Amino acid sequence: MAHSNWPEWIYVGVVIALLCYVGAEAWNIENIVDHVPEDAEVIKVTAQQWFWSFEHEDGTKEVGELHLKKDHAYKFEIESKDVNHNFNIHEYVVLLDAVPGQINTVWFSPNEAGEFDIQCREYCGLIHYNMRATLIVEDVK
Amino acid sequence: MSRIFGFTIVIATLFIIPFVSLSFASETPGEYIDRKAEIWNLFFRMMTVAFVVGGVIAGTMVWQVWRFRESNPKAKPTPYEEKDEL
Repeated sequence: MAHSNWPEWIYVGVVIALLCYVGAEAWNIENIVDHVPEDAEVIKVTAQQWFWSFEHEDGTKEVGELHLKKDHAYKFEIESKDVNHNFNIHEYVVLLDAVPGQINTVWFSPNEAGEFDIQCREYCGLIHYNMRATLIVEDVK
Repeated sequence: MSRIFGFTIVIATLFIIPFVSLSFASETPGEYIDRKAEIWNLFFRMMTVAFVVGGVIAGTMVWQVWRFRESNPKAKPTPYEEKDEL
């Protein structure tokens, strides 16, 4: 029996339009978020069971604490010495895997002074729950 | 049809998507952004779309169940029911 199928075409069109919108929007934000500013300072982040260590561009090393300046850009180069970990600064929506034999990068710019938690977000063994560090953002002018 | 579709997917994965990504990859350095705001705003926009789609689908299903129930005065018997084949 012949029947009109225009509602189906409208439905298909709406679905395609929504998918295009979702894809384009996500892609656009991903590009913006991935785009590192030129003056970003590189911080080497090393994960190992069960602590975080950091190395600044000038060679300064820190363990369990990371001191950064407010309103500066930082690019983290994250690697692991043993198993998979995940570097997370919850307050600044920084989240990236630390994988042995691989350097992953993510950048951010803290816009608030204070102390923030850094934690492992990938189960990495017995003391995973306590694999934490403190991010200290200083308001230096 | 399915062969063309499969072929298109393979070609898109191998050539078109990397080409478009490279074309849009900018050489200029990035700007300072509030990462938290960008990511959460994207999340809220996506959730708006998701809930609208969910609402439309759930609403359509509720309407279908209500409209095509046997006791609906507007219900018409199917050709099988008319011929008493069921």
